[in-house]
Amino acid sequence: MNELFNLAPLILVFPIIGVLFNGLVGRRFVDHDRKTGERWSGWFATIMALSAFVVVVLLNLALHANHFHAETVMLWDWIVIPGQGLSIPWAMQIDTLSVAMMLVVTGVGSIIHIYSIGYMHGDPDYSRYFAYLNLFLFFMLILVAGNNYLVLFVGWEGVGLCSYLLIGFWHERLAKDGTMKNANAARKAMIANRVGDAAMILGIILTFWVFGSVEFNHVFEEAIHIFESHEEMVTLVSTNIEMAFSTALFAITVLFLIAATGKSAQLVLHVWLPDAMAGPTPASSLIHAATMVTSGIYLIVRSNVLYELSRALSVHSGTISSSDIVALVGASTALYAGLIAFTQYDIKKVLAYSTVSQLGFMIAAAGMGAYVAAMFHLITHAFFKALLFMGAGSVIHGMEHGHHEVAHGHHGHDDDGFDPQDMRYMGGLRKLMPVTFWTYLVGALALAGIFPFAGFWSKDEILAHANANQGEYGLFLVLFILLALAAVCTAFYMGRQLRMVFWGQPRHEAARHAHESSPIMTFPLVLLAVFGTVAGLFNLPKVLTLEFGWSLTLEHWLEHSIQTFELMEEGILAHVPHTPTSLIVEVAALSLGLALVSMGLAFYVYRDKPKTAADPDPTQKIPGLWSVFGRLPIDSFYMKLLVPWFNRFSAWLGFKFEWSFWHDFFHERVIRDTFVWFADLSANVLDAQGVDGIVNGLGSVTRWLADGIRVSQTGYARTYALSVFLGTVVLLIYFLWPYVMR
Amino acid sequence: MGDPLVFGILAIVAIVAALMMVTSRNAVHSALWLVLNFATIAVFYVVLNAPFIAMVQITVYAGAIMVLFLFVIMLLGAEQLRGTGVSSRGERFHQAVAALLGVMLITAVTLALMNREGAGGGTAVPTMPITSPQELGLILFETYVFPFEVTGVLLLAAIIGVAIFTLRKKRGTAV
Amino acid sequence: MTATIDWYVALSAILFTIGALGVLLRRSAIIVFMCIELMLNSANLLFVAFARSLGDLHGQVLVFFVIVVAAAEVAVGLALIVTIFRTKRSINIDEINLLKG
Repeated sequence: MNELFNLAPLILVFPIIGVLFNGLVGRRFVDHDRKTGERWSGWFATIMALSAFVVVVLLNLALHANHFHAETVMLWDWIVIPGQGLSIPWAMQIDTLSVAMMLVVTGVGSIIHIYSIGYMHGDPDYSRYFAYLNLFLFFMLILVAGNNYLVLFVGWEGVGLCSYLLIGFWHERLAKDGTMKNANAARKAMIANRVGDAAMILGIILTFWVFGSVEFNHVFEEAIHIFESHEEMVTLVSTNIEMAFSTALFAITVLFLIAATGKSAQLVLHVWLPDAMAGPTPASSLIHAATMVTSGIYLIVRSNVLYELSRALSVHSGTISSSDIVALVGASTALYAGLIAFTQYDIKKVLAYSTVSQLGFMIAAAGMGAYVAAMFHLITHAFFKALLFMGAGSVIHGMEHGHHEVAHGHHGHDDDGFDPQDMRYMGGLRKLMPVTFWTYLVGALALAGIFPFAGFWSKDEILAHANANQGEYGLFLVLFILLALAAVCTAFYMGRQLRMVFWGQPRHEAARHAHESSPIMTFPLVLLAVFGTVAGLFNLPKVLTLEFGWSLTLEHWLEHSIQTFELMEEGILAHVPHTPTSLIVEVAALSLGLALVSMGLAFYVYRDKPKTAADPDPTQKIPGLWSVFGRLPIDSFYMKLLVPWFNRFSAWLGFKFEWSFWHDFFHERVIRDTFVWFADLSANVLDAQGVDGIVNGLGSVTRWLADGIRVSQTGYARTYALSVFLGTVVLLIYFLWPYVMR
Repeated sequence: MGDPLVFGILAIVAIVAALMMVTSRNAVHSALWLVLNFATIAVFYVVLNAPFIAMVQITVYAGAIMVLFLFVIMLLGAEQLRGTGVSSRGERFHQAVAALLGVMLITAVTLALMNREGAGGGTAVPTMPITSPQELGLILFETYVFPFEVTGVLLLAAIIGVAIFTLRKKRGTAV
Repeated sequence: MTATIDWYVALSAILFTIGALGVLLRRSAIIVFMCIELMLNSANLLFVAFARSLGDLHGQVLVFFVIVVAAAEVAVGLALIVTIFRTKRSINIDEINLLKG
């Protein structure tokens, strides 16, 4: 084991130091002297993130030196029940998969830290923001580094907490109609995630029940062992319950899928992610685009053995497998969210639905067994979506400054319903914000899947996988069509956004006065734009069966962590090497062509519309699009049906059950009054008469006896002498008795 | 163990002296009767071949101790008790019980003696020479040397105790 | 015929009883005290008689010790009586009941 692995705990130590600094003393620095305080607070957090990044790079080198063999860094025992063989450690699994995730988290995280220094400038809660950001890094690294499901779950909940805190970062800001928009968004995220997390807990419990462990390696080895020994039934640990192995596996994998739909915003739990844009834009960029929302994909990729086995079992029995469900959920989400993105005016919400859609791509890839493709898309998406969000942040920043200037010029012109995030007020920003424009363009092209940007390669790999397996599973054709349509949607709504924001005429005074953001914000944009351009190099496909030195790097890197199987005819699993993916020219050409056409169409449709902020959107003419997807059907379903009933039920629970029955009747009447009655009985009857009677009675008896006995103590010597004499005579007679009575 | 006649005379004298001692109103008389009793018992000791003890009896008891008694009686002027001398009911009960117990004691001893095996018959009395002080002294200082020393301590304690009584009294009056 | 040990036992018992009754019946502390001396003497007589009867000198040694203890007792007892007399101006034991319960 390479000594560098011992550095692993540091990736957790650095962020937590940052949390402590900013959480405990950061605010004093900032309050004391705004300028230097912000510098301290922001750069301290950034340096902590960068330090973690450096450590991860060292771990990367260590893995190279270790020939890519995974190492477990044991920290300490956590839950140990010797009798039951339960031992859950705090341990970090350093393998190629977790290090890949760590690189993304700390790399993109560091860039976003730098960006935040500029973006959050002037915010009264500057240090609190950075404390949350570092806390997020801490939990995210726990999530990806844990070597068992329970530690993963700790990180899972921790990032959920940070997400909640950052969405509600400006919780006191109200919407125009007076609702607590931001606080409600935070709560929505928390509640939607509860559903997924409950499934996660059940999944972990079931995993332990079936396999007797929650550590990844043990679980997977045990699963393969059970599968290969053809055992139909498994006995749950510590019970006598028998369960069909296929059922158990199906349940575990579906529960993990539900967990992933919560965290990664898939149908039908995706509703929280668009609202999560209420948080500061860099936070949205880091948490709700690049890293946290991908932890669902990480969970599925990490559990790849279970999903593969599920697929193999279902091929055997001819039923639908949980992997297929995963793929279907992902593909449907990809298309569904893509369509909704057409109808959004908020620049961040478009990106948010785009994120949901792209996460759908990744989930679909994982469901199809293309784990490497999922991870590839995860990594490239992290770069260009972070870039897009931060670009959007830059645009919003510019719009706010523009609006500020305008408001200063025209007094009494304050409230005209202006929203700095609404694309209808933008336009023509290309000239005013050149750096933002060019980097945004790179991000948009990458997202749309245009050659040669990163998104092209990763998205194409997913589509190629769906295409390549069509013959084997009929399902894959459906998946391919869904994903291809989603890709078309992606190109279209990104074209729409580019056209509306950067081209044309400004539709508001604010857009006319917008100007470029400070270098500290544009520098990270440029950096990410570079990555967004070249990230495809991480996993270039083989072109025409030629393999270049650079190709399939990620594939070879991850094959040490991800196993794929092939079911042999005899029902035995064969560990097969990853099939190297070649570029399928037809598919690539098709997707590129569709994307270009779709984007061009968008530019054509929005060439001069909407002219003013009040004009309708051109796509409103398409029947069904705005009336169905524009109304957010699932959100509406929740708000119209579930939430009122839930509220009514809560009110009943609160007022009737809890207050009237439980408090007024049960506690007040039954418990309290009974208690009072009993206390009264004890005090006034049992104690006063019973216990006191016994004690006083004992005293009286003793006194009465003493009064009787003290008579004998006359104090006269003769009395005592008589007693002695009596004793003498009695003793004498006792001794002489045999002689006396003879 | 002595001629019956000698025994009888001496016993009568002793008993009478004892009775007179107990019943005398005057304490001085009582003391004198007691001296007689002690002297009689000293004669018994001589009869019983214990001349040394007899001499000790005369010198210590009849001499020193009884002189001390007489001295105190006369010092305090307590020849006769002042007061009514009328007995209360409790006292009469007390006296009755005491008398009953005395009778029971005498009766028990008498019955036991009469019923004893070989009662009245002369068990063989060993011939025993008249004890010389030398013999007694040897036993005393060989076998009983430790108790002897203890009695010395006891006497010392008695002396100190008595001295303390006296001293406290003197200091009290001096103040 | 000679006096046997039984005679001495009887005599001793009579003297002891007389002494005991004196202790119990007389009021004067000094006479009570003298009666105690009488009881001691009756015991001493018995010791010597048994020493003679059994031919054993140890009985006489015991008498010696009794006399010593009696002397000490008399010294302390009389001192007590004197002290009591000084405070209460009386040696009537019926007037002394400090131990009354």
